[in-house]
Amino acid sequence: MIQKSYKLPCSMQLLLIIVTVFIGKSTCSSSNEDGWRWLWTCDVRTEKCHRKPEPVSIEKSFEFVEPLQHASLAACRLICGRYGALWPKPSGQTIITRQLLPFHPNAIKFQISNTNDQTKQYLIENTQIFHNNLLSECGSNCSSVFNTQVTIFLFPSSSEFTLRWDTNETYHLELVSKGNQVSVEILADNVFGVRHGLETLLQLIASYPVYHKHEGVSHGLAIVSGARIHDKPFYRHRGLLLDTARNYLPVDAIKRQIDAMAASKLNVLHWHATDSQSFPLVLPRLPQMAKYGAYSSVKVYHPNDMRDLIRYAKLRGVRVILEIDAPSHAGNGWQWGEQAGLGNLAVCINKMPWRYYCIQPPCGQLNPINRHLYTVLSQLYQDVIDIFDEKETFHMGGDEVHLGCWNSTDEIINYLNYHGRNRTTEDFLQLWGEYQANALNAYDALVGHKNTQIIMWSSALTDVNIISRYLPKDRYIIQTWVPSNDNISELLLQLGYQIILSTKDAWYLDHGFWGTTQYHGWRISYSNRLPKHENVLGGEVCMWGELVDENSLDNRIWPRAAAAAERLWSNPDTGTAKAEQRLYRHRERLVSRGIQAEALAPRYCYQNEGECS
Amino acid sequence: MFRYHKFIMKPAGLKKILYFLLLMCGVLIFYLMRYQFSPLSNLSLRLTNKQDDPDHNPAQTEKQPDVWTWRCENEKCIRYQRNRKEPEVSLATCNMLCGSMQLWPKPTGLVSLGTRTISFTVDQIVLETEFVGALEKLVKSAFSCFKENVAKLCGKSDSKNSDINSFKINVNVIKTNVTKLHFDTDESYSLTLKTIKTDLVVIIKATTFFGARHGFETLSQLIWWDEYTHGGTLKVLKGALINDSPMFSYRGLMLDTARNFIPVVKIKKVLVGMAANKLNVFHWHITDSQSFPFRSIRVPKMSAFGAYGRDMVYHPDDIKDIVNYALVRGIRVVIEIDTPAHAGNGWNWGPSEGLGELAVCVNEQPWSAYCGEPPCGQLNPINPNTYDVLEKLYKDIIELTKEDEIFHLGGDEVNLECWSRKLKWNNDTGYYSDLHDLWGKFTVEALQRLKKANGGKLPKHVVMWSSNLSKKPYTTKYLNKNNIVIQVWGPLQWGEGVDLLREGYRLILSHVDAWYLDCGFGRWREMGEAACDPYRTWQSVYMHRPWQILGTNRHNILGGEACLWSEQVDLDSVEARLWPRAAAFAERVWNDPPFDAYAAVGVAEDVYTRLNTQRDRLISRGLVAEAMWPQWCSQNPGMCL
Repeated sequence: MIQKSYKLPCSMQLLLIIVTVFIGKSTCSSSNEDGWRWLWTCDVRTEKCHRKPEPVSIEKSFEFVEPLQHASLAACRLICGRYGALWPKPSGQTIITRQLLPFHPNAIKFQISNTNDQTKQYLIENTQIFHNNLLSECGSNCSSVFNTQVTIFLFPSSSEFTLRWDTNETYHLELVSKGNQVSVEILADNVFGVRHGLETLLQLIASYPVYHKHEGVSHGLAIVSGARIHDKPFYRHRGLLLDTARNYLPVDAIKRQIDAMAASKLNVLHWHATDSQSFPLVLPRLPQMAKYGAYSSVKVYHPNDMRDLIRYAKLRGVRVILEIDAPSHAGNGWQWGEQAGLGNLAVCINKMPWRYYCIQPPCGQLNPINRHLYTVLSQLYQDVIDIFDEKETFHMGGDEVHLGCWNSTDEIINYLNYHGRNRTTEDFLQLWGEYQANALNAYDALVGHKNTQIIMWSSALTDVNIISRYLPKDRYIIQTWVPSNDNISELLLQLGYQIILSTKDAWYLDHGFWGTTQYHGWRISYSNRLPKHENVLGGEVCMWGELVDENSLDNRIWPRAAAAAERLWSNPDTGTAKAEQRLYRHRERLVSRGIQAEALAPRYCYQNEGECS
Repeated sequence: MFRYHKFIMKPAGLKKILYFLLLMCGVLIFYLMRYQFSPLSNLSLRLTNKQDDPDHNPAQTEKQPDVWTWRCENEKCIRYQRNRKEPEVSLATCNMLCGSMQLWPKPTGLVSLGTRTISFTVDQIVLETEFVGALEKLVKSAFSCFKENVAKLCGKSDSKNSDINSFKINVNVIKTNVTKLHFDTDESYSLTLKTIKTDLVVIIKATTFFGARHGFETLSQLIWWDEYTHGGTLKVLKGALINDSPMFSYRGLMLDTARNFIPVVKIKKVLVGMAANKLNVFHWHITDSQSFPFRSIRVPKMSAFGAYGRDMVYHPDDIKDIVNYALVRGIRVVIEIDTPAHAGNGWNWGPSEGLGELAVCVNEQPWSAYCGEPPCGQLNPINPNTYDVLEKLYKDIIELTKEDEIFHLGGDEVNLECWSRKLKWNNDTGYYSDLHDLWGKFTVEALQRLKKANGGKLPKHVVMWSSNLSKKPYTTKYLNKNNIVIQVWGPLQWGEGVDLLREGYRLILSHVDAWYLDCGFGRWREMGEAACDPYRTWQSVYMHRPWQILGTNRHNILGGEACLWSEQVDLDSVEARLWPRAAAFAERVWNDPPFDAYAAVGVAEDVYTRLNTQRDRLISRGLVAEAMWPQWCSQNPGMCL
């Protein structure tokens, strides 16, 4: 059996055909009605792949292949339209030729240059990830052999090895082929840019079935014969929030999310690790937290798990930002203070009827007037700093403080009375502000400087009239979580704050399953435009975990988070109609990598692009 | 709570013993309380705590013991910090013994459960009864399913701990010749579990195999994994007496495998879930206008032209396999090839074979002119060849499923505009002033062909979706109420069912506003609106009790069916979409529990706890089920309502 590729001049383009030539004696086989297959053609004008209206018999397809036909939709998609199968689409120059070359995943060589040991190791490991992804793409029975050789050159120009908001993620990919030699150059400022380039390269490759008369179907890979891509992200902060407190998520499930993030070029995993329901982090200095706060001794993250996740994420261009929500959303895990002689570290824990003391059971809120609390926080922060990078930013939470809880706690009421303070809303906000100042001081004391940028949720404390009193803009980045018609983000920008947006009515992935909330489909997720302002760091989709655990995590997040990823990466001016086919393809890509992404439409609509609008 | 007591009626003979046990419990509790609050023990408690305080010993943090233990207080399990003096009680064990039985769906008859437990191992379970013939195979299969389910509770642990010598199961089936499920099949069973010296003896009595397998299912729910005792052990109640039979004979689940293909292994998992919830009809919406994955023996061209790919086909052997797999789980398989609408891809080979157009409007654009959702397609009722093909397909289905009592004809959402504009009208075809009559004639002819395919006898229950044809005046004109069962899918307030019941039709209820499990995921097309948002929560599935409102001739309601259409679902999320919501549905049609007037949020607290236990059971059997709430709420029953 031979695979050949021909160059056919067709109008002004070079179009490819993968011709499967079957050699061997054409034995007379009984007519087998199952021996049918679909072929796809690209309509250059509409940029859509069309399934031929009638299937062709496999035998016929050995003998006779018309030009411009593809044996798989994925192969057709690669070359159909300016952006082919790329997701997110590049923000700069993008040229993809229309010719495909078949190759085997093992026929790949890497050349890594100009790096130190650390970055070299990073890239070597990434080539392994690349290869695994290639095998996933090829699928089972990836046995077709071709004589195409692919050589990939990786050129990071600096040894920069920290992912920050100012990390340059730009890359430039150049793919050329001569005969059966394919050469790919990926140039970037640093390894993270190179990694993005490798991700893009994977998206210039697709699998297709090869039919053998006797052995049945095997799969092969095809790569475009030429490409030039200049690409860089529009927003610096492209995040996904995972909540491991409402329901525990096993480390493997989190890694799967990181895989999908890497495939979609998202770069921040916002780890909402704790909440009033549970405290699954095992902290060396404060083992009581997990002991009293975890659902069980196995539903915890040990320091090694956390380090493992951070490393796993970094290797995939993703930073992990930890959030320990406080002073609200903190209850279970904080019950041990009294017994240890430290007084109540938190109040209202599991208090009933919960509706009076919190917005969701179980209740719990830190006790801002207990000075021991700040000692404990200091120990907690020290563990966080030890495990996470000291230079990494930290999320202090700060949402939904329930003043009714504090206002019903004798200890706090007495404190306010004793100090001659009232119990108005302003008084409690001030108390909260004092808590926050103390917490920040504790953190600063540990790192020895006041430069760490702290992220906080928008809240009553971030109200534009009072925010500067409590949260100075050089220290705090505000993550807003209001609906798109709310102007708090704009107002904060006017005040000079840096912000991250988690638009509630588009990027809250838990909506649609409780109360009066509505499910936000991928089109809504995609269409959520953020303000264009240098202080907008970016955005985050949020997967709150009340109604999700590892069972449905993947399909609740994907591919909707990928839709947001293109918004954040390329911030396209075009709408969802232009994105649909590429996203359908990306969903299949995620599935092939083991992520159980939701189906977006009947498969008919995947196979017949543009027919289901 | 009051309702619950009424429910568990204790046999009079046991009363005295129970009073005695109650008294003893009282004494025991008093003793424990005294022990706990004595100043001395309190002191020693503190001392041990101090010693073990990990704060002073930060090195030993890697492996922590489970800190929680549960105590049953006021019929609720309360989570406590473990104090090492009390016996440690796991949540599962506490729930099993605390007021509420953890059975799902709740039995309709007498239930009496013991309050003591014993440990055993899987290999101690033996089936003592012998059968012959077809029944032997069925009972043995049901027994091994049961045993497998019990084994799966252990996870990876290999517990060898046992308090007994043997775990013997006796099965008593009266009608040994019933090996197929019918509408009038008696599914009732009684289950007795007692400990005789060192043997655990279970007796399952049932009229038919189908009752007996439900008995196995219920028995599996009296067994659980206790992670605390002896480092993990299987436990079972020491005594139980349960009488049970379903309220409705049709308890269906519909799965659409045409919008998106669902592989055979996934369909089997759906059947595992159905069996666990005593659902008994798998309605397989196998084809639609999008695709035709049914590999017909007689008309193989259908799937060649209609399947998404060669690997997305149900071969005859697959279907037989599924039918068998379902049978031992007490489930019948009803295959629906929807016609005359919802048929397009797969029907488009007619012209090339000289049979003319078997379907019209296939993949026609703009689709909105010819059908309700893309791609379009509708059978060609004026081409006689269409009926020949139909008859062949019907024959295939009856042969493969061996189901000759129920047949689903489809029949929903016919677009008359498609026929009016795309059929080639001439004097031979006749002209219709009302195309509903053409639709009616199509149906009459399809029924004729079905009759022929079924050996000259129309199946007793031919099911059709509710549509304009099931409205006056067409109902009486075309649909014979002696054969036709209408599956009502319009929202309850459309009142479709009321008229039909009045006229004497039999119904299966699948109200879209409660039992469509696909709803709530927004629009999947670029234009237009979402088909049926919002999402139906398990509570709304459970609370739907339509027969209360429908009025007359209620005995003609054969049952209900939950539906999962697959526009936005494929193998990756089908299970999470179904469970635990289809389980909530199952209790509605098995037991039809009345609403609890005292429950603040509509669904009683006990239902939350039991359904959560059932969800855990499904997960232990390898199914994927959606989370119902934060796990904190499982660990603190009643605190999240």
